[in-house]
Amino acid sequence: MLIFKLMYLIRGYVVICSDVINSEKLLNILRRKNITVWDVQKKDKGIKFKISYEDYIKNSNLINEIVKPVSKRGAIPKLKKLKLRRGFSTGVLILIISLYLLTSMIWDVEVVGTNQTNTNKILAFLEENQIKIPLAISNIEAKKLETLIYNNFDYKFVDVIVEGSKLIIFIREEETEPAEIKSNEPSSIISSKNAIINKIIAKSGQPVVREGDVVYEGQTLIMGLVKNKNSDDFMMVPSDGIVYGKTYYNFEMKEEKIRNVNISTNKSKSVYYLKINGNSIKIIGDKEPYENYNYREKVIKLPIVSNITDISILKGTYYEEVIKEIEIDKSTAENKMKVRMYDELLKRCDEDSRILKSTINFSEDDEFYYLIAQIEVIEDIGEKIRIFPVLEEETKEKMEE
Amino acid sequence: MSRFNNFRSKLADELEIPNDALSDNFELRMHGNKKVIIENHLGITVYEDNIVSVKTNDQDVTIKGSKFKIEEINNYKVIIKGKIKEIVFSMKE
Repeated sequence: MLIFKLMYLIRGYVVICSDVINSEKLLNILRRKNITVWDVQKKDKGIKFKISYEDYIKNSNLINEIVKPVSKRGAIPKLKKLKLRRGFSTGVLILIISLYLLTSMIWDVEVVGTNQTNTNKILAFLEENQIKIPLAISNIEAKKLETLIYNNFDYKFVDVIVEGSKLIIFIREEETEPAEIKSNEPSSIISSKNAIINKIIAKSGQPVVREGDVVYEGQTLIMGLVKNKNSDDFMMVPSDGIVYGKTYYNFEMKEEKIRNVNISTNKSKSVYYLKINGNSIKIIGDKEPYENYNYREKVIKLPIVSNITDISILKGTYYEEVIKEIEIDKSTAENKMKVRMYDELLKRCDEDSRILKSTINFSEDDEFYYLIAQIEVIEDIGEKIRIFPVLEEETKEKMEE
Repeated sequence: MSRFNNFRSKLADELEIPNDALSDNFELRMHGNKKVIIENHLGITVYEDNIVSVKTNDQDVTIKGSKFKIEEINNYKVIIKGKIKEIVFSMKE
């Protein structure tokens, strides 16, 4: 029966109400005319039933004489109605065609993974290669485009994707590797920090400082210039060695005794915006409904619409908060300042560094707790730099100057 | 007419072919007490909420019960839905 009903939903059916007292007679007349009747329901006055649209058209004179049709339902009667409403039908047809055309074109090119300058370069390059917006999606050969960009730019990875009406080009730039100093190139070791030399182990090169010397940042520790044993000339060698220095780090920190903390009240209000091309238009809700709040935003993409156009809905939620004053006790504040101090120290030192001595003093006044500390650390302070031979002509010119 | 119909019915039984292929006998099928399908009918004589009577070649079939609704009716079959309590066959005089 379900299939039967579905079939007539497409082919169309007519709902008929009859006020005749002798409903059996009406049903028998219809039966004799070979008209299939279904869903016959007894009403207070007469009956209500359904017949196919096809049968209704064939026997419309007879049916209109006896009974009155209530409504015509199904796909075919609707289509026939559309035939009469030519303007509407043409509009719908134009809409479908324009939608099809709009969605089968590329309207925007987005380059992901590089800066604006490179993006402009890529876009200019695409224009040079006759890839101009708007462009039919069917004309885009992703692999070919990838190869074209890859061959003309120094990128590590290129991927071209068509998403809706957008052409997205993913790019991974070549990372510039730090210039490594080769083991056979002449080099010196200099100090990277102000320190007192603790230990110096020179494997090759000439150490120019001694243990206990005070050195400053950039000062040469091991020089890659060694006197030749057989002659008076100097020769350049690659320096190698470890220089441990005693460095001092001073810290001064303070922590409030009373702090304002925002506590959520679990109340929230939302505001909705319609986002078109980066501009937001408020639809529902109030801006800043609470005195103190935490604001969060969420972009809701509309199915199909957001893919074709740059239209989306922005949902902003204001969470109400109450500011409370909390008194922080001394031990908590001290621990917090200590942790912060060691975090900062870790950022400034190497992993192999060793703390030799630490002097930490705490004090307080009405408003703050204070930490004053000096940390003595032993660490490798050597930094290798490349040295270059200076040509004789250049030195003469400099001397003259 | 009736005798000849009986003969055709018997012949259909002997030949093991569907009865309605040779005779004018109606066929009645029931789905529990909710639905009755009558094939080879001649029309409806009574249609009320609690009673439906269907005319066939030899006899009238009267269905008693409640909440009756004719699900489908065409030249060949009629499907009646509702709470069936009783089915009465009355021979034509």
